[in-house]
Amino acid sequence: MNPPTQTLTQDEDNALRESLKRCSAETIEAAIEYRRTRDAALANTIVIGILARFLEPEQRAKLAGDADHLRLMDDLGVDSLTMVEVVMLVEEVLVIHIENEELRNLRTLGDVKAYVNAVARGLPPPAPPVQLDVAQIADAMPQQPPFLFLQTAELRASEARGTFPLTGDPVTGEGFFPQGHFKDRPVFPASLQLEALGQLGVLLLLKGGVEGVAGEVDPNTIFFTSCNGVRCTRVCRPGDTLTLSLRPKRVKHPVAVFEGTVTVNGEKAAFAEEITLTFDYKKAVPATATADSGANGANVANGASPAAEASAADANA
Amino acid sequence: MSATGNASPTGAADAVGNSVVVTGLGFVSSIGNDRATVTASLRALRHGLEPYPPFEDPRTPVKLTGTIKGFDTTSFDPEDWTWPADYKIKRDVLRGLPPHGLYAYCAVQQALADARLTPAEISNPRAGMFTASAGSVSMLHHNMTRMFASGVMRCSPMGVVNSVVGTLSFNLVAAFKILGASCGFASACASSGHALGYARDEIALGRQDRMLVVGGEDGNLEAILPFAGMRALSPSADPALASCPFDRRRSGFVGTGGAAVLVLENEALARARGADIYARFRSWGQASDGYSPAISHPEGQGLSASMTHCLAAGAAAPADVDYINAHATSTPIGDRSEILAIKRVFGDAPRTAVSSTKGLTGHGLSMASVLEAAICCLALRDQFIPGNAHLREPDPDAAGLALPTLTRDAPADSPLRLALSNSSGFGGANVSLLFERA
Repeated sequence: MNPPTQTLTQDEDNALRESLKRCSAETIEAAIEYRRTRDAALANTIVIGILARFLEPEQRAKLAGDADHLRLMDDLGVDSLTMVEVVMLVEEVLVIHIENEELRNLRTLGDVKAYVNAVARGLPPPAPPVQLDVAQIADAMPQQPPFLFLQTAELRASEARGTFPLTGDPVTGEGFFPQGHFKDRPVFPASLQLEALGQLGVLLLLKGGVEGVAGEVDPNTIFFTSCNGVRCTRVCRPGDTLTLSLRPKRVKHPVAVFEGTVTVNGEKAAFAEEITLTFDYKKAVPATATADSGANGANVANGASPAAEASAADANA
Repeated sequence: MSATGNASPTGAADAVGNSVVVTGLGFVSSIGNDRATVTASLRALRHGLEPYPPFEDPRTPVKLTGTIKGFDTTSFDPEDWTWPADYKIKRDVLRGLPPHGLYAYCAVQQALADARLTPAEISNPRAGMFTASAGSVSMLHHNMTRMFASGVMRCSPMGVVNSVVGTLSFNLVAAFKILGASCGFASACASSGHALGYARDEIALGRQDRMLVVGGEDGNLEAILPFAGMRALSPSADPALASCPFDRRRSGFVGTGGAAVLVLENEALARARGADIYARFRSWGQASDGYSPAISHPEGQGLSASMTHCLAAGAAAPADVDYINAHATSTPIGDRSEILAIKRVFGDAPRTAVSSTKGLTGHGLSMASVLEAAICCLALRDQFIPGNAHLREPDPDAAGLALPTLTRDAPADSPLRLALSNSSGFGGANVSLLFERA
């Protein structure tokens, strides 16, 4: 696949090193190797190295480890001008062209990596994320208010992000959550945090274009089956805004397994190693029953009630 | 209405408005990068002029500049620059700066520390910033060269912000989170005088409580050498001859860069917070020559009108003025024009001491006025009169003027009370500023 290895002239080598002089040695070596071999597998290292060079030093540590979900602007402090600087250097080093209009769709580190990877391989860039507001979410989902725990959603094949503010009705300020279920001690129960993550999974299956979903998913066929490795570490109270993040781990009809995280202002509130849903596709002939349970062996509860409630509630007590 | 120099026909005081004082100074200059060093240089007449390496080419007819020490801004990439370790600058501030933006950023930090003002005290709707700079010719040249060579999409996204006139305001207003009035002034070598005057008005009229006034210049080859084309620069490689205002042997000015900052405050508020006050900014005036785009009026008509307006606005008689910090840059025509202007306003043999500190600093162009205003504030607070460095053979036209050759302390029985500072720019723009011992 890759073109034959090329030799860099001394001038090209020098120019590349000069352009990358404030990047790590690892980045420079990867860039030189990339220019010799055009091995697109090096693109990630190069892109992350270039981005790191433009970050304030206190932000750089965030790039270590799994950082794909980090938002360039909100989490890393990369403004639009810095983004232009990053793009110019990436274009120069990888010898690619990045369209201005496409920049707007690159919101997370994962977006940048996916985009650059595609362009470096000569593939079409990945589809931009689907943004949904509360009305669009309510329209798509089988659940209905007040048992709908998503206010905004941003869907990519690789990740769904959602938010849910723990406030009452936007107009009256009244509602269940300002009041809560504990006497005089309103909280948003951990069981419902898992429910919110599950709902984001439903939305991702319906609208996200997830790899492994081979047809149009029937909203009425999605069910919760299990939840593993749940840890809840922060009590969420009225006034907090939950940020939900969900990533597909394995999706193969009829089972979809996700990893989910709930944070409030960057502070981790809940984490689930695995949230498993089952789903089915729309039939050519409209089905009258809600579920074609042929594929679902077990104990299927409607996507509304996570079985992990007990352990989650303990953590929140 | 305001004290902008529109004196009433009777010459009566235009005393409307709040009293304005100077509570902080910042310097990045050829004669020092802090108040103590600048004061010591003024007292010892220690100049800041040096051979400038980019002028080494034998075909370059100019050899000296007033150099900035402790900074290196030779690269076009701000991330290559170096500056004194006391100043911390984040990359997102640094990347949009021209060389004089770096100097000015440091000078503002210095002035705020000097005035004992917190970031919040200058980041509110009652605090503003006026700036003066001619932009950055070197950055503009670099950006254009790159644009024509590599295409505009390979140019720095900061290529406009770091170069065009206004660059100081763009960068510093954002960096210091200024929420009140902000504006950049461009009237060549009178720019920072206008910035000071209008900043004073903002406070006098009650629109603002505090104003930062910032002047800056790159002072590099691109900023200075073009003046040689108009034969305005001294060809001398000897500092004692190259910048010798009012001397018969003068042959042009020596350029310099850097930055200077004044913190102006409403006097009542400054006193209420217990600020140390350098001087009261009593009044200002301006007038134009209407004569030539580049040459001073031969009789100094605009400058004499500017001084007259300033004194009238401050209800001061010429005889009340103890010291004039002259604009005199060491050019044959300009210095003579100012001599005649001073004589027209102050008489043929006034008691007022006159000196140009450009013999020490070189000519700082857009920042000259704010630098020299800061020098007047030091002189008023510490009670000394700066001497005329390098003045050996006074111009015969200056006969009768008191042109001290050494810096001396003001006598106890005759303190330095009023100091007037002049600035003149291209297009015949003239500004005079009157400072009073507080």
